[in-house]
Amino acid sequence: MSVMRSIGTGLSGTLHKGKLLVYLWALNVAFTLAVAVPFLALIQKELGHSLLGSSIRVFDIPWLAEMAFKYGEALPAMAAGLGIGALLYVLFHIYLNGGILGRLLDREGPVTLAAFLSDAGRYAGRFFRLFLASLLFYAVVFGGLLSLVSAGFRPWMEGARTEWPVVILSNVRLLIALLLLSIVHMVFDYARIVIVADQDRRALHALRLALGFLRKRFFRAWSLYLLVVVIFLAGMALNLFVAGRLAGAPSTAALVLAAVWTQVMVVYRIWVKVLFFSAQSEFYRMHPY
Amino acid sequence: MMRSNVSPWPGIALALALLVGPGQGRGQEAPPDTGAAPVLRYEIWVELDADAKTLRGREDIVWTNRTAEPVADMVFHLYWNAFKNEASTFLRESLSETMFSRGASPRDGEWGWIDVTSVRLAEGHDLTPTMVFLSPDEPANPDDRTVLRVVFPEPVQPGESARLHLDFQSRIPRTVARSGYYRNSFFIAQWFPKPGVYEEGRGWNAHEYHQNSEFFADFADFVVHITIPRDFVIGSSGKETAVRVDEAAGTTTYTYRQSMVHDFAWTAGDRYLKVERDFIAEDEVTAEEYERTAELLGLSLEEVRLPNVRMILLIAPEHRGQIDRHFRALRAAIKYYGLWYGPYPYETVTMVDPPFRTGSGGMEYPTLFTAGTRVLPSKGALSPESVIVHEFGHGYWYGLVATNEFEEAWLDEGFNTYSTGRVLAVAYGPGALPVSWNGIPLDGLLRMPRIYDFELNRAAAINVAELDPVTAWSWKFYNSASYGANVYMRAATLLETLERLLGERTWARIMRAYHMRNRYRHPRTEDFIAVVNELSGSDMTWFFEELLTATHDFDYGVASISSVEKPRHVRGVFEVDGKKVEMTDERIRELGRAAAEDPQAAAPKEYLTTVVLRRFGEARIRGQGRVEVAVRFEDGSVETRSWDGQARWARLEFIKPVRVEWAKVDPRGIWLIDSNLANNSRGTDGLRKNVVRLMLRFFNNVQCALQALSGWS
Repeated sequence: MSVMRSIGTGLSGTLHKGKLLVYLWALNVAFTLAVAVPFLALIQKELGHSLLGSSIRVFDIPWLAEMAFKYGEALPAMAAGLGIGALLYVLFHIYLNGGILGRLLDREGPVTLAAFLSDAGRYAGRFFRLFLASLLFYAVVFGGLLSLVSAGFRPWMEGARTEWPVVILSNVRLLIALLLLSIVHMVFDYARIVIVADQDRRALHALRLALGFLRKRFFRAWSLYLLVVVIFLAGMALNLFVAGRLAGAPSTAALVLAAVWTQVMVVYRIWVKVLFFSAQSEFYRMHPY
Repeated sequence: MMRSNVSPWPGIALALALLVGPGQGRGQEAPPDTGAAPVLRYEIWVELDADAKTLRGREDIVWTNRTAEPVADMVFHLYWNAFKNEASTFLRESLSETMFSRGASPRDGEWGWIDVTSVRLAEGHDLTPTMVFLSPDEPANPDDRTVLRVVFPEPVQPGESARLHLDFQSRIPRTVARSGYYRNSFFIAQWFPKPGVYEEGRGWNAHEYHQNSEFFADFADFVVHITIPRDFVIGSSGKETAVRVDEAAGTTTYTYRQSMVHDFAWTAGDRYLKVERDFIAEDEVTAEEYERTAELLGLSLEEVRLPNVRMILLIAPEHRGQIDRHFRALRAAIKYYGLWYGPYPYETVTMVDPPFRTGSGGMEYPTLFTAGTRVLPSKGALSPESVIVHEFGHGYWYGLVATNEFEEAWLDEGFNTYSTGRVLAVAYGPGALPVSWNGIPLDGLLRMPRIYDFELNRAAAINVAELDPVTAWSWKFYNSASYGANVYMRAATLLETLERLLGERTWARIMRAYHMRNRYRHPRTEDFIAVVNELSGSDMTWFFEELLTATHDFDYGVASISSVEKPRHVRGVFEVDGKKVEMTDERIRELGRAAAEDPQAAAPKEYLTTVVLRRFGEARIRGQGRVEVAVRFEDGSVETRSWDGQARWARLEFIKPVRVEWAKVDPRGIWLIDSNLANNSRGTDGLRKNVVRLMLRFFNNVQCALQALSGWS
């Protein structure tokens, strides 16, 4: 079955290209440092010498309220800083995606930083155009389709006698939104794969090819996508279990273990992203035109 | 003696004794024996037209002039006219509110109003032509129709009574500010023409209905006849005393009576389940609890003993599984409010799970309140418990101690928020922060922290300290958020601070005395301060001046700590054995070398420790209060000093053979209102484990958020 084979081969592909994970993790850490250091410095300034530091909780409402009072006027600037950081990271990843796909699809080629960055630069322009096109798709999905769904649900929700229909329909709408989101996401993944695999120089042409490719085998492609989502969710469930146990442990060893575990989970998230590309690339390769 | 402080009324102790036992000695009307007759008596006949969404009513009022001055007119609240159009004061304020609006403007065809169609004196004199709407508040709003005045042909003399007959018709709004309907469920509050409170020297106290205010009225005896469709279930203030079915009309008329309450609300609908249970005092309160309470309050066992209470729950069928949860919370509230402040004096309490989309949840009325829950309630968060305890508690702070919610909302909301937190802490412990998504509770999945109410209250309180005084009039706050955070959370935090400052016993007696002395009265802020001063034995007025009526932030902290080795010798000329000896650099070096060669012979090392304290906020501790400071040294010794806290800073110095480890102001944690607890202490060691954990979590959260965002690229 091509879906399972794609997952299997995709998985082995990510393992063979493990250096990719190292690069992406290092870049994530570096970027995070740039964004987080001012806030970490603030925490150090406020709690570094305070006895309150002994009892502070990770989500400490009283202390957060103190900070809101003290730095309330700076909050918009802080939020803007975080927002700009986030936007830059998205743009940065548009650039990096080329490197990831380039190295994945060059099956025998080595994963070196030079090759990775070279691929990233090669496809950056086309991927950016795809990103702009994806905004249009998202607008159609969330502005159009979901509005239609909401309009369809509205009579039931507005006429509800109890809270139940509202809870159920709200969650059905959320599920529909997530599924639609996954479809748009998948379409643009294949468009990127077309650009790299077929060396297509035209972004919109690649998008059209991707749509054509998916039209013929939509449900198999989508089930592959959703399987990777399930793999991601399984990891998140494990994280919830492990992190929950490490969070409360008071020992230094537990603290170190928790720090290591969080980085393992960051690598896991990165690996899932690479797995999306890898498995879908395999699926694309198995179904030539 | 404490006992004399409990009640100035001779009849009250006897009345409390009569309330002991299940319904002992009670008549149908369940009048609490207050030793005082109410100012007002109402008899109201009201009919609900469920299809037309209207009420038609008749109201007989007897108002007695208990002041020493003749009264020429009478002023009524017509609250539902607030929902008549967008020119009303309520909706103007609501529409201009930038934070939390209590009632959005009704949609087309869903406006509500009340028309008084006639006002007559019992002897027949028609007052209708004298009706005029007033706009007593600033800024004036001549378009508001919530305050109505009629003029008597002759002033009502002191001690005399005026008997009035009113006819009124109302259109029920589609739920604004907790009154209204959804489908066949109706919540009917603030629905009848209600006189203001006549205050000697001030005239009628009757404000317009404001977006940020609740209510104020005189105590009264009520008899209310409510006619509703036959298949509806009803819940109401007071006790049901008669039921009459009209088969032909398909209606049922219920009669409810209640003495010594200042408002009357009811609800009716075709979906309610009605469940009745009893609060049996002897099952709820142990002998040890009675003894401890009596000892704490300095009262006799009889004075603290609780009566039984009939508990009535109206609940939606889809919340059937939460019936026990509702009753458990109500039992805790009846028990602890009763033990701490005084026994619940009425026979019944009706708890209403608000009908879906009537927006009537979380509100108090005498002997009736609304709770509020979800079809999927959280197990860890104290909801609906919190709202049940709070709204029942308003039966004490608003119901029995009937403060003016327009002018001094903190006296009911603040006191009750504080009391709610205490009851929840004792009965349940800390609750999880409630988090839900699309109606699904997530606090368990997300492992939300458990937190006490006083911590949450403080979190809000410190952020509004400099915006408004707690005692501002309700509609004069900067915005709804400031109103809410000040009169609820900041006021509660101040009371919690005062409790810590004065100690458990003194505080418990203050609260009990203030409550019992002011039952069935309208006390003001100064009445509470007087009780505090009297029972604490010290003038605490400064506390209220600094923190309640002023907009001062309270923040004392440790600015710096340091320990430096005290030099054994310093340069200069010294008297030694009557001779002048000069200590030069060379001589000091020689002595230093000698000490290094023979440490035993050298004088022991000494360190000069300097602790600098700061008053970061405007507020100052005054009176007999002092800022306590504890300083701990490397040998484990702790020195405690105090500072009067008047200046902006103070420097404390210690000479010890060891260095300082940490310094802490307010080591006993009294000043909960302090806006920055992090700066209350300062240590010399490095980052603590929890801070490292916090930094790691923050870093990781940013990492994960960024990685999640990369999915959009």
